[in-house]
Amino acid sequence: MLLIKWLTITENFANVIHGLNASHLTDLVIQRSKRMILDTLGVGLLGTSTEVFHKAIQYSKIYRSDVSSTVWGHSDFRLPPLYAAFVNGVAVHSMDFDDTWHPATHPSGAVLPALLALSEVLPQKQKFSGLDLLLAFNVGIEVQGRLMHFSNEASYVPKRFHPPSVVGTIGSAAATAKLLALDQFKCKAALAVAASYAGAPMANAATQTKPLHIGNAARHGLEATCFASLGLQGNKQILDMESGLGAFYTDYAPQFLPTLQSYSWLLDQQDVAIKRFPAHLGTHWVADAVSSLRKYLVESDDSVPISRIKRIVVKVPDVRYVNRPFPNSEHEARHSFQFAACTTLLDGSISIQSFSDQNISRPELKELLSKTKLEHPADNKPSFDNLYCEVNVTLQDGKVFSERCDTFYGHWRKPLSTEDLKKKFHSNASSVLSVEATEGIIETVDNLEKVEDCFVLSAFLKRDTVNQSTAPSISW
Amino acid sequence: FPLIRSLLYCPKETVTSSFASFIHGVRPEHLSEVVRHRSKRMILDSIGVGLVGSTTRVFNIALRYCQLYASNAVSTVYGRKGLKLSPTLAAFTNGIAAHSMDFDDTWHPATHPSGAILPALLAASQMLPPSSKPNGLDFLLAFNVGIEVQGRLMRFSTEAHNIPNRFHPPSVVGTMGSAAATAKLLSLNVAQCAHALAIAASLAGAPMANAATQAKPLHIGNATRLGLEAALLAAREMEANPLILDDIRGCSGFSAFYGDYQPKPLPLPANSHEFLLEKQDVAFKRFPAHLGMHWIVDAAASARNLLVNYSGSFSPSLIRAILLRIPVSKYINRPFPESEHQARHSFQFNACTALLDGEVGLNSFSDGCIRRRELMELLAKVLVEHPEDNLANFDKMYGEVALVLENGDVLTGRCDTFYGHWRKPLSRESLLKKFRSNASHVLPEDKVNSIITTVENLENLPDSSQLASSL
Repeated sequence: MLLIKWLTITENFANVIHGLNASHLTDLVIQRSKRMILDTLGVGLLGTSTEVFHKAIQYSKIYRSDVSSTVWGHSDFRLPPLYAAFVNGVAVHSMDFDDTWHPATHPSGAVLPALLALSEVLPQKQKFSGLDLLLAFNVGIEVQGRLMHFSNEASYVPKRFHPPSVVGTIGSAAATAKLLALDQFKCKAALAVAASYAGAPMANAATQTKPLHIGNAARHGLEATCFASLGLQGNKQILDMESGLGAFYTDYAPQFLPTLQSYSWLLDQQDVAIKRFPAHLGTHWVADAVSSLRKYLVESDDSVPISRIKRIVVKVPDVRYVNRPFPNSEHEARHSFQFAACTTLLDGSISIQSFSDQNISRPELKELLSKTKLEHPADNKPSFDNLYCEVNVTLQDGKVFSERCDTFYGHWRKPLSTEDLKKKFHSNASSVLSVEATEGIIETVDNLEKVEDCFVLSAFLKRDTVNQSTAPSISW
Repeated sequence: FPLIRSLLYCPKETVTSSFASFIHGVRPEHLSEVVRHRSKRMILDSIGVGLVGSTTRVFNIALRYCQLYASNAVSTVYGRKGLKLSPTLAAFTNGIAAHSMDFDDTWHPATHPSGAILPALLAASQMLPPSSKPNGLDFLLAFNVGIEVQGRLMRFSTEAHNIPNRFHPPSVVGTMGSAAATAKLLSLNVAQCAHALAIAASLAGAPMANAATQAKPLHIGNATRLGLEAALLAAREMEANPLILDDIRGCSGFSAFYGDYQPKPLPLPANSHEFLLEKQDVAFKRFPAHLGMHWIVDAAASARNLLVNYSGSFSPSLIRAILLRIPVSKYINRPFPESEHQARHSFQFNACTALLDGEVGLNSFSDGCIRRRELMELLAKVLVEHPEDNLANFDKMYGEVALVLENGDVLTGRCDTFYGHWRKPLSRESLLKKFRSNASHVLPEDKVNSIITTVENLENLPDSSQLASSL
């Protein structure tokens, strides 16, 4: 018998799943499992006479192809609203380029795709104004913010559950419930059902699966609302109970919302941060610190002489999932303090192109990375409201240069100007849409509260030219 | 009684209802200038980011996956001849059916293993092209992979050995089991199997609070559906964290769902692999209620017999108090359940129903039966005790029903192992009786018999998708 030491348990599981074959099944196991299969079938058949099953069927029949929503950037086909919400949500978080709030989450990606998808499939006579959309959007954002205030744990960069997967799902449910003008009881049910979909572990951050957290938050919140509108009920005290939403937190102290007589929104007191390049928020402090420092090092051709650099020390808070000395993929690179520092040092700034396969594996970059190390000063707290970055570069001749960034441009304390926000949008949208559509969206959103039918927004979001590459597909 | 109860039961404003009120009651006028401004900036940025994001690889994979749903209604739904849905949705609805009445199997450590696996496999078997249909033995193997993975994962924490109070186990391990089982059926390669597990972890985890509500069946429906989805995404080369089951310092993987977590590798399947099912069978339920109820019902039935022998008939008026000795578990301790879902999760309700009727069956949970006057009268006499030696653990608990009579005598019934528990498994006869009784609600006798034959000879079935189509 071969003794193989497994590198990881996960790999071991994968190997066993893959390696088991029919000959491993014993008689007893076969017998018992067949009994289980039979019993499950019977129980299932019986269960088709229940009310909850009827609702599930009613809901699932929605997946007819004549009921569909826009896939952003695609005019060649449409998807059922849940899947449109899903893919568009995935798109929003695909590059870690979307907004970040405090306490930490990515609020908009979990809400907007669900709302837009939903707005396209309501009965003909019902249309939604821009103001309806704006209100529902803000309900979705607000609920997320309020939920995060239920625990102290939430104020710090997360370690256990990825916040968009927890509060984003509930936020999507709240927003879509609002758009559909569900009554109080159904709003409550939407929240309760959504809780049963919430929660994805942090370990999938910095992997290709992370964007699915936002896609799923959007989709599942919408699904919960659909169920609620069909009359499904969950636990009426879902937000109150430790075994409810409290399951996702170690300290959980839910609070009431302010009175509607004079409602004060969290967004009023606390803005979001908008990213200037597609990477984890923590890297933005690093980029700004390094970019300030770089001017002391550049030569006349705007390059930095790598060989003159002996050591780079980046002082940041202790955030494990952004501590990656040698990232291997674009997803890891977007979650690497070290990568951000070295790329900025080399190129002057970080852009969308910085994460291409070529750029990630540049020898110059690897050389700099091998000279880089992180330090975690005790006073540098892992909170997006308080953290700072200090970079020290030591040259071979002993000279040391140091710069610090407390607030990067784009942070809520130093928000992007309207011009720069639009510039970011232009640059992003024009990779997929025509100039007219790009301008159309800017104008529509600028005057959103006056727009009569927010359908126009979805219309602009479709791509104008058909230019799809065909990838090999599986038949099932 | 019901009237008095409802007067005393006026629900106070809860945090949850304050949220619901807010969502419902807030108006555009409530939006301030600053909020409007900031939120419009967010919307604009979000759209732009999404548009550029639609050029990414991950988006492409997700898209190809979702395009399945345009018109891929290939999988059957239990009891609905002629209706087909796309595979994940068929799995979803069938999973919901399986858990809709809390009638499905239970294992130790606690979870409902089969409902999270079978629907996904049935749906997947119908999805594969005719040239690569798995046979019955492949199907049975994949099913066992799904069960085994669930059992192994539950052994990663001591918390899992007791009746749960945070995350509903099927939503945690069930999702992973479904991913494993479908990865097996679809013959994914090793790397894809690992990614399927990791993607599934991001889809796992529903809080216990929704147990005993109408939403609970969705936990199984989603476990089976989302596990299948994870496998389908992995098949299309979606990647996730390769260390998802390992203990990663400062960044939780699967450990996120547990307070204590000690992962252990699975033994390598060389020539033999000992499946957990070999050593630890499941329990099958005899009536549709939470497993804990089965002890108390057997205990109540035996106490009822004692009373009948004592006084010649079952006369509730002779009873002063009914003492239930049960383990501590909040979500199954409900003195006056108000819905069928709550009734299935109420020691008190099940004990009293068994006292009145001698047994608990399907009909015991109908609206009419839940609100019977005689039942309410009995419920009012119930007192609950939590003996220290009665642990909240399906391997160790017991149920005791003590009838304290008006004349002071006490008649006690006790059950340590109910019929259907893994220590006292249902006979083949009893299991078939349950199946026939259930299946005949929606299928004719000849179909019912043919399913029995098919499953009992599963290893010899050349095309396992026939099982799905026979439902």
